[in-house]
Amino acid sequence: MFDAVREEIAYAFDRTVFFRNHMEANALRPEDIRSAEDFQRIPPTSKSHYRRNFPAGVLAKGYTLNSPHVMRFQSSGTSGDRLNSAILAYDLTRRQATALGVNPRFNELWRPGTRPRICRFAPPNCSDVECATGFSSMADRTLPDGTLVLTVAHDLLATPEWQVVKAFDEIEAYQPDLLVVDSTHLAFLARWGRRLGRTITSPSKLHVVSGYTLMTRVARRQVEDFLGDAVPIGDMIGMSELGYLGFECHLGNRHINNKDFYVEFVRDGKPVADGEMGELYITTLDDGLVPRIRYATGDHFTPLGDTCGCGTELPRVRIEGRATHMVRLLDGRVVTPGEVDAVVGDAPWMDLYKLEQDPTGACTFRYIANLTARDDDVTALEKRLTELLGPNPSRVEAVDYIACERSGKFQSCVSRLAAEETP
Amino acid sequence: MNTQHSYRDDFPALRREIDGQPISYLDNAATTLKPQSVIDAITDYYTNNGSNIHRGKHRLSEEASDAYEASRVVLANHIGAAANELVMLRNTTEALNLVASGLDLGPDARVVGCVDAHHSQLLPWRRVGHLDLTTVDPHGRIDRDHFRSLLRKQPKVVALAYCSNVTGVIHPVRELIAEVRATCDATIVLDAAQYLPHQRVNVRELDVDFMAFSLHKMLGPTGIGCLYGRSEALMGLRPLAVGGGMVDWVDMDSSVERRIPYKFEAGTPAIASVIGSAAAIRYLEALDPVQRHRHDMDLCEALVSGALARSDVSLIGPPEVTDRIALATLRLDKGIPAGEVARLLSDSYGFMARSGHMCAQPLVTQLAGGETLRVSAYIYNEVSEIEGLYKALDELLGLMGPAHS
Ligand SMILES: Cc1ncc(COP(=O)(O)O)c(C=O)c1O
Ligand SMILES: [Zn+2]
Repeated sequence: MFDAVREEIAYAFDRTVFFRNHMEANALRPEDIRSAEDFQRIPPTSKSHYRRNFPAGVLAKGYTLNSPHVMRFQSSGTSGDRLNSAILAYDLTRRQATALGVNPRFNELWRPGTRPRICRFAPPNCSDVECATGFSSMADRTLPDGTLVLTVAHDLLATPEWQVVKAFDEIEAYQPDLLVVDSTHLAFLARWGRRLGRTITSPSKLHVVSGYTLMTRVARRQVEDFLGDAVPIGDMIGMSELGYLGFECHLGNRHINNKDFYVEFVRDGKPVADGEMGELYITTLDDGLVPRIRYATGDHFTPLGDTCGCGTELPRVRIEGRATHMVRLLDGRVVTPGEVDAVVGDAPWMDLYKLEQDPTGACTFRYIANLTARDDDVTALEKRLTELLGPNPSRVEAVDYIACERSGKFQSCVSRLAAEETP
Repeated sequence: MNTQHSYRDDFPALRREIDGQPISYLDNAATTLKPQSVIDAITDYYTNNGSNIHRGKHRLSEEASDAYEASRVVLANHIGAAANELVMLRNTTEALNLVASGLDLGPDARVVGCVDAHHSQLLPWRRVGHLDLTTVDPHGRIDRDHFRSLLRKQPKVVALAYCSNVTGVIHPVRELIAEVRATCDATIVLDAAQYLPHQRVNVRELDVDFMAFSLHKMLGPTGIGCLYGRSEALMGLRPLAVGGGMVDWVDMDSSVERRIPYKFEAGTPAIASVIGSAAAIRYLEALDPVQRHRHDMDLCEALVSGALARSDVSLIGPPEVTDRIALATLRLDKGIPAGEVARLLSDSYGFMARSGHMCAQPLVTQLAGGETLRVSAYIYNEVSEIEGLYKALDELLGLMGPAHS
């Protein structure tokens, strides 16, 4: 395995101005890196490096943004999420195949000689597609790879009825094999489906891949109820600049793709032991276009180190979330979005929730209840949350609307305190 | 010999680095940055006062009212108007809407405009009358014959823009106005949003009835735009909004409007921003006008010659520097998305430039056929920044354009 890393280092050094400068600034040459220990001498590379140096500094010599198979994309934002990048279509496919390989329920998606018909219902990304205005046609929103992007408002809950109807109509017309969704978005569509008496069906077998944000159990419950058992749902670990980093197996466990990437989980500059949380660093393998070495993703995971009953060789991990989404408590504990979600559970009485820690450390849990909610449900949850969030003050608030982030994503757990402290 | 003071130091936002890189701000036709003196004026009002104006007799209110009205005098004086002829509103768009709706034109009224106008000088007129648009030549210069023929239809209003925010063309407004006055009795409404930031105007010499401009395009805060109206013209205008602050007397079933300009300023205004606007005007007036103009011309020359020297960009606008501001709108080769180029210029090179239709979709569609990239310079920019932008553009287009053989 490490030979492949060394090749990638040599390639990146040779072919990209940025990585050569990065190594030279640290008095390193590719020959200095002979082992996984040596590897740690290379300081991590960051999103900001790749943003600042794209394309001239990070595109491998010999490529342009118009070379065959190059897919380019941008995502907006002012934070660390802002991105301009490019990827080779076949790298994306290779990574996707490895990741989906952990879940046999997705096997039939890729039959030889066919491409699945993909429909995306996710936070709008207006930079790569005219998605948020009502003026676009299906053709305008079909990406070069054939994926149809459905329109959705930036503020999900403010999506007007005509746009929801349009989404149902277009899914019906497009007949997808695969819905790539943000689970909060699909749960929203599911609630509307019940109200409008509409369903999501396709003549071919439908599959759902959920990405973009943490799939809450509340969202998953609604999606499963709406689509039924026959539709497999899998949680994807992914980043737009890298594609599939992992996937959920049919037993519901998450596996990380360590075949197409060299993965590290790092805390305070050191690899973490199994069972401990660390930031995911990615090194691409055989990425001819934008090789990345020790790319700090900002996403945290706990490698579990055990084997999973599903039989796959890809290692099991637990998703913990981004540093800016972690609640920091006065006693030094950190509560991850995943832990919050476990405490909330699938809460059949609830449509949506969001926990927000303000800069003083106080936490507010807002939720939108449905008609089945009883006082006991709320009291019990309130008690569990108070225990979880320990010394910090927290309160629970019933609301009938919760805003999305500016990016159009709906994050179920955010910490303004952590965001202020994270550089 | 380099005696020129670099204005850059006066603009704290230009000290920022993004991803470890200094920034170059070249989207000045949209909005300019603010000098420290403007920021200080605003902060000073909030720090030491913060009260309302014209609403009472206490000390803080009197002080705030004085500062607010003194600002009006500064703004009015800048364009050669009397203080009571200057209405302080939110922006040029609001000012032009006030005129269009307040003139109470009949449904058949004809309005003559120009195809290169900003949406703000098109849509309000389309709503209240029949708008005829004067055409421009491929360089964006107005078609004088066409203009003349439209005047013969006896329009009620002639809505002109001094300078186009797409082509950078400065129209021969003085001559156009003389023609209007000689042929018909139309009300002349001038959009000076792009021109005034670059050159002084004297409304009386110019003989306009109304003129609008925005302070945010000339170093001032956002949220302040002005409408100049000749006093007789203003007196005949119907206010857009009614409420507090614009009446002298209200009883159970009637009210008496205040005099101009107050009757157009309903509700509590953006007091701090008005005070900041005066600071912006003071900053501009303190600059040496000759040196400033020369600098503007140098920037314009760099923008135009840079575009003309390249085969993979074309200039939307005249290929010369006379009667033109330091602004270049570029059309890129087919298949190169302007929005993506603007993003990469920003994120990878630190150049903040604008992409899109520039709120002048009819013209941009006509001259460019689609979205464009606009680079607009102001007092704190240097020629070297423009050269740097073109070099960055070369590198980008080399990586984005069709593979060179
Ligand atoms: C020529 C012209 N007119 C009017 C406007 C509108 O100004 P504001 O947005 O301040 O109303 C602009 C601003 O871009 C402009 O360039
Ligand atoms: Zn498994």
